[in-house]
Amino acid sequence: MTVHIDDNLEQRPDGAVACRHCGTAVGVAAEPLRDALVRERDPQDAGPSVRAEPAHFTDRRVVLRLTFCRGCLTQLQAEIVPADEPSFRTRNLAVGR
Amino acid sequence: MPVIPVAGSEEFANRPVSPAETRRAVSDAVRLHDVDAAAVEAVDPLTYEVIRHRLTSITEEMGEALKRMSGSVVVTDCNDFDAAIMDEVGEVVQVGLYNTQLAASLDMAVNWTLRNRCRRPGIGPGDMFLCNDPWVGGGLHQNDVSLFAPLFVDGEIFCWTGAVAHQVDLGGVSPGSWSVAGTDVFWESTPIPPVKIVEGGEIRDDIEDVYLRRSRVPRLVALDLRAKIGANNVAHERLRALCQKYGAATVKAVMRRTMDDAEARLRAKLRELPDGSWSSVAHQDSARAGDREIYKIVLNLTKTGDRLTFDFTGTDPQVDGLINCTYTGLRGGIMPVVLTMLCGDIPWAPGGIARCLDIVSEPGTINNCTFPAGIGKASVASAWATTNVTTECLAGLLDSHPEHRQRLMSACCGTWDFALLAGVDQRGGGFVTMLCDSMAGGLGARADSDGVDTGGLAVIPMGRVADVEMNEFAFPMLYLWRREEPDSGGAGRFRGGVGASSCFIPYDSPVGGVHLVVSAPGKALPLAPGVSGGLPAGTQYDVLLRSTAIRDALAQGRIPTSLDEVGGERELVPVHLETGMGPDDVYYTHWQGGGGYGDPLLRDPAAVAADVAAHKVSRRGAEEVYGVAFDEHGHVVEAATRDRRAALRRRRAGLENEEVPA
Repeated sequence: MTVHIDDNLEQRPDGAVACRHCGTAVGVAAEPLRDALVRERDPQDAGPSVRAEPAHFTDRRVVLRLTFCRGCLTQLQAEIVPADEPSFRTRNLAVGR
Repeated sequence: MPVIPVAGSEEFANRPVSPAETRRAVSDAVRLHDVDAAAVEAVDPLTYEVIRHRLTSITEEMGEALKRMSGSVVVTDCNDFDAAIMDEVGEVVQVGLYNTQLAASLDMAVNWTLRNRCRRPGIGPGDMFLCNDPWVGGGLHQNDVSLFAPLFVDGEIFCWTGAVAHQVDLGGVSPGSWSVAGTDVFWESTPIPPVKIVEGGEIRDDIEDVYLRRSRVPRLVALDLRAKIGANNVAHERLRALCQKYGAATVKAVMRRTMDDAEARLRAKLRELPDGSWSSVAHQDSARAGDREIYKIVLNLTKTGDRLTFDFTGTDPQVDGLINCTYTGLRGGIMPVVLTMLCGDIPWAPGGIARCLDIVSEPGTINNCTFPAGIGKASVASAWATTNVTTECLAGLLDSHPEHRQRLMSACCGTWDFALLAGVDQRGGGFVTMLCDSMAGGLGARADSDGVDTGGLAVIPMGRVADVEMNEFAFPMLYLWRREEPDSGGAGRFRGGVGASSCFIPYDSPVGGVHLVVSAPGKALPLAPGVSGGLPAGTQYDVLLRSTAIRDALAQGRIPTSLDEVGGERELVPVHLETGMGPDDVYYTHWQGGGGYGDPLLRDPAAVAADVAAHKVSRRGAEEVYGVAFDEHGHVVEAATRDRRAALRRRRAGLENEEVPA
């Protein structure tokens, strides 16, 4: 059975995770975003919501880390985090495995 | 100086204890009322519902009583308090709808009191215990003072009631007990483990003096103490009447079944959801004044069958500063989200709901710190960050179910924008107050709709923001504005609710200015994450404008509406700051909105246009983040929007020069 993981992702019976908008495979159940496209940009590229540069407040570099479907470039995950940290955001549905 | 372990403090490192173990510990020191399973089974459905709803209304009455007697705007106008009814060993049967974070560990405080105070000084009718020791329970930081009272029926402890409220000052280095330069708890208000402050219905003057002597506003705190006594008295009056009408055994049976029902219904809901795990991270910038580090809380939520396991392995060690929280803060970060996101249709009986939850956390981490770590800001620091990771993980869980996903919500607001004013008020008396304007935070976006603009805080369902006029009446301040801020809600297919800003000046104080304490993270990075590709909410942004000509402007009948119009010398306010505000200084504080849901480029362009018209999103935000093109009348141009979105889709992915399907 194919199940939805969230607004953009679905998990297929074989455990493959695909984009719900274009069907492109982006990962597997244990790593749903394994094959997705990841880009890091300046936090203020998130738009006017980021009011001031992080350097005013911290010495660590902060990045806007965006994850996209390689097929249709839908934004699958967005976070503003210290650049030296890996992404701690994961999900792992136990169905279909 | 690094935190050094304190021998003897382990006595207060409280953890939940089972009812059976509690009964063994109490033994014959005090009699505890009980009913057997047959009595619980025997209650008919109608009686059950009537009594259960009566218990709910009693917690509301407790809140009303507290508000009517308190003199603190934080309580009377902002609802930063809560109340609960607990069974004879402290399990929470019904929690009030006010600040559920505060009441999340009342059970632990009551249970500790039973086990540690039942012989000396003893627990009798008319007694009430005060506690503001977050290592024991009853609140998240020392300002959360709880007062809980056993109700005796026929010589047995039938149940407990408890009220907890934020007190504006209980001593410590800085006004408001928020010592922003502090490194450990000894900079802060001294935690008070459970102490019998009301004995046989009378306040013990000696204990009250010990309690109030530390405060900069003892009369206000004394009034709040009486307000909490009143709340417990009201509850006891109502509960006695309930017992007289239905019999104590029946009322207790309803209490048991309420918790059992909540547990069973939550388990049933969890079984409908897929098994799996979801991980998240919540950051906090700066642990104290001058600190520029960023700290993290990591959560891995596992759902298996009808259980949830919250595993915080990977969270940073506790730090020198005021942002740590104790285990009670950790619980206070979890339960409110479970209540609001999973239990909207289930009785709010945490005593039953908690049976479905396991917590894995290492002592010595920033959301499970050991004594004497600094915890002065715990409630809106590590406890709140715990709320954020819990929100994101539970949202992920719900998002995987076609029906339950309608209940998810992204993180709201991200943190509390703490600004505290102290000094001499317009009547010549000393004052301290926490500005509660950020109670109007933006709520997170949902899977099918936008977050509520300035809708409040999910953990404080009945939180309110005081009227501008009330703040101006109560304190020596004058607002230039309080208004929603465009772009502060996280962008997404569904937008996070916008936050807001306030701008004010010291006004009418006989000494001219006021003392200002700021503790407001989320400036180096936003703290309310988005879900499912949605962007985080905006960052916190506070500015002090020194030596302005604001008095002249007001004298000329002009009220500035922007920082540029205010003028003066701008100071970007760091996360933590303690300073003075002179009569010509202006303070601008801008708190966060809620996280977004889904890719912003999937948002209906008409909704974006409506946001621009309503000043929820700026024109720049609409164009650069949502990729919407407008004509000169502000109408959406569909073809240009398609082109703009296609280009933006490539540009944000760093593929400007590559061929990619639109």
